[in-house]
Amino acid sequence: MVIFVVFGFFRSFANRVLDIDDTSKPQAQVDFLHDFLSKHNYVYSNDFEENLNILKKKHLVDSFLVTSMDGSVVVSSDGNGVNEGLIGTAMFSYIKGEMPSSEAVLIKKEDGWFMIVPFNKKIFIIKAGSELSNIELRALALDLSSLLHDNVNEGKSKEAQFAR
Amino acid sequence: MARVITVASGKGGTGKTTITANLGIALSKLGKKVLLIDADVAMANLSLILGMQSSPITLHDVLLGEAQVHDAIYDGPNGVQFIPSGLSLDNYKRVDSERLAGIVLQLNEKYDFILLDAAAGIEKNVLSALSASQETLLVTMPTSPALADALKTKIVAQRLNSKVIGVVINFVMSEKGEITKQEISSILELPVYGNVPFDAEVRKSFMQQKIAPVLLRKPDTPASVEIQKIASRLTGIKVPDAPVEQKGFLSKLFSFFGKR
Repeated sequence: MVIFVVFGFFRSFANRVLDIDDTSKPQAQVDFLHDFLSKHNYVYSNDFEENLNILKKKHLVDSFLVTSMDGSVVVSSDGNGVNEGLIGTAMFSYIKGEMPSSEAVLIKKEDGWFMIVPFNKKIFIIKAGSELSNIELRALALDLSSLLHDNVNEGKSKEAQFAR
Repeated sequence: MARVITVASGKGGTGKTTITANLGIALSKLGKKVLLIDADVAMANLSLILGMQSSPITLHDVLLGEAQVHDAIYDGPNGVQFIPSGLSLDNYKRVDSERLAGIVLQLNEKYDFILLDAAAGIEKNVLSALSASQETLLVTMPTSPALADALKTKIVAQRLNSKVIGVVINFVMSEKGEITKQEISSILELPVYGNVPFDAEVRKSFMQQKIAPVLLRKPDTPASVEIQKIASRLTGIKVPDAPVEQKGFLSKLFSFFGKR
């Protein structure tokens, strides 16, 4: 026991005094990590369409569609989606009718997932490669809602400026 | 209204649970009402660190809707209150961790701080903890794998609208190969809340007949002192510098050469 302590002491002494510590900072990895956050920097611009793409990247989804409760399209990341909006809203209404406590509908397709979630009196229809939890769906719905809200407000303020 | 903070790291083994337990005690020492929640519903062990493993009603029961949240709150060390997660694997798969946010909301008015000890990884249980809190405190180590996972956790927390307030660097040994505090702060783009040194006393705290967090067992040891500084930073309450343990010449010599 004493021998181990003494050997340990001398080994540490040698490491410290003679600086034979063979560790060194993994600088290449540190440099790589320095760039990591910049690839995930989701800052909104003034362009609404671009902001939709930013939200797609931020929430790791392929596309999304927002409809009002009657199925009319409010916004689509792909620029269309009338049919999907009507089908998705009808499907959610049917399931909600049969199972009133339903919070979201998730459908597994061959090429990914199709998810429908209601939020703030709108229906959010989301397509992604893997399924999102209810928490993630609501976070996306919240971000989209505030983007839509900001866009409406911006529109109103431009109209007001024009009226003046 | 409580400040609800999730302590998360992404990587396992960074000392999140130890930091959470001791930080809760440090905040309580500063006169704050603190609730600790073991949000790691699969691999719960905050109760073991607090020495409170035999709690009949747990977060599992509350999340399953089989118990009221107030029945799962226990008095922990130094005035801290605590909701343990079940150690049994039987209920874990039945538990809906998404209900956590609702539980936290019910308790918001009663405490100054609610600390959620998140699981490792970025799976559903972690997402539940992150989305149940307004703020996230990251715990990492001065190594690249731990830092990479902390980065991912930061991105996920932001996606769920939990503000990442800072980072605690744990197990700091001040070796040549370690990533420095300044670099970690720059990579994560976050302030460093604490630089907790590797401290054998933390490990020894688990090796007692009656397990007690290091802050209670050895409040003057370097890790304890640094954790108290984190609590001070969180509350804005200045604490006088704790007297560091006085060592003799031989013990100083051995600790200088002996920690490698």
